[in-house]
Amino acid sequence: MLKFKDLNVFYGTSHIIHDLNLEIRKGEVFCIMGRNGVGKTTLLRSLLGITVQTKGAIEFEGTEISRDLTYERARRGIGYVPQGREIVPGLSVLDNILLGCNARTDRQMSVPPLVWTLFPFLKDHLNRRGTNLSGGQQQQLAIARALATDPSILVLDEPTEGIQPNIVEHIEKAIISLNRDHGLTIILVEQKIRFARTAAHRFAILEKGQVAAAGETADLSNELIHKHMSL
Amino acid sequence: METFVIGLSIASILFMVALGLAIIYGTMNVINLAHGEMVMIGAYTTVLATKHLGFNIYLCLPLAFLVTATFGLIIERTVVRRLYGRLLDTLLATWGIALILQQLIRIHFGLGLFGIEIDGLGSDLQNVPVPAELQQAIRVFGANIPVYRAFVFVAALALGAISWLLIFKTRFGSQLRAVSVARNTAAACGINDKRVNMLAFAYGSGLAGIAGVLVSGFKTVSPDMGTPYVVDAFLVVVAGGVGHLLGTMASAGILGEVQSFVATWANDVYGRTVLFTVVILILLFKPQGLFVTKSR
Repeated sequence: MLKFKDLNVFYGTSHIIHDLNLEIRKGEVFCIMGRNGVGKTTLLRSLLGITVQTKGAIEFEGTEISRDLTYERARRGIGYVPQGREIVPGLSVLDNILLGCNARTDRQMSVPPLVWTLFPFLKDHLNRRGTNLSGGQQQQLAIARALATDPSILVLDEPTEGIQPNIVEHIEKAIISLNRDHGLTIILVEQKIRFARTAAHRFAILEKGQVAAAGETADLSNELIHKHMSL
Repeated sequence: METFVIGLSIASILFMVALGLAIIYGTMNVINLAHGEMVMIGAYTTVLATKHLGFNIYLCLPLAFLVTATFGLIIERTVVRRLYGRLLDTLLATWGIALILQQLIRIHFGLGLFGIEIDGLGSDLQNVPVPAELQQAIRVFGANIPVYRAFVFVAALALGAISWLLIFKTRFGSQLRAVSVARNTAAACGINDKRVNMLAFAYGSGLAGIAGVLVSGFKTVSPDMGTPYVVDAFLVVVAGGVGHLLGTMASAGILGEVQSFVATWANDVYGRTVLFTVVILILLFKPQGLFVTKSR
């Protein structure tokens, strides 16, 4: 479904990702792991075409997209939940969700029913400002906004980072449900090993901008984690 | 009372110019130094349309909006778009555009070289005829209020309301607000941020064009008439709080009235001096402007 081919990513003169090759299959949860600063977020930003220069190819559903602008990639069906959520200040919860509808090819401005199924809490707070919600609630809102784009792949950058434990569990369940019950392909950047093992079908561990280890989640041994992820 | 109404009309012009500047700055982080020239182009559109097409000032309002919005759109597409994220470069480039536009008016768009002169352009000062009904005065609380000044105020209120509806009640408005505070996230939501920039630049320029039409009713039209407006409008934006419609309105009101009252009491030089002092005081005690959007 998605292929990174010989991908190199740069921030100015800094070379962040080196000759990376990865394939994400339709219907799976693929977890990208690694220590801080190894290029996980940069890889996701390069997939979305956000402020990075890339060499190599990114192929999405058989089409080369590395020259596409960010909004064009979103309209192709790549939904994005950024690190830190980035809820738009000044907009209500409803307006924040509806922003995602701009990516829809049918131009329909309505919240997909799936959003209310996963996050019923949001329905009771539609007119509140999105930035007035708690961190965990904002994360739910960010996922809802990405779902409103009607994505065929959902990209989540550390969705449970810095969130109170009771909401973390809810978000984890929602992410697993999106894949298992609704067949959505998911790329997940995640530091929590427990959640990665529960949610992901396959994984890749990055180190210095390259794939240091990859495989089925069953192969994600403590030895690999100790070798590539411990401080 | 009369001084207050004159202050309101100054504030109205400031508000219209500042609103356009604020939309452009808020969306693109571009300080458009050619914004004053949009006021000038709006005024010259009025001069030319009244001379050659027989338009009155009412018809000139939408015409000037379209003309200056088109100028803004062309400037964004040809120059500013290539310089996003480079504040100093955009300052220099838009200043250059401002100078070019002024000179173009002076030399009849270059046709002066071939002996072709367009009546209404050039270095001569121009005046715009104001319809008879707007030349009158009405008595309110014993004071003579010029109808034209009241008309300017009403026009500014109407434009403020239209802009509010556009920004807060339309799909384009929510796209604009998203792009101005979270460009990458907006693009990742499928919003064509370049198109939003272009339309915002055009709309902001169009507002300045409308201000130009209204200014031409009580000020002499000349190629460099727009320059002071960009400075004053920027002061209004900064003092009001960047990205805050109500702040821009309040700030324009305060600064317009201060200038009007002090100029009436003393003279224009004192008016300007006190105006700058008030802005400095606002920024000393409210560094982010009179109104700040709070978020968690």
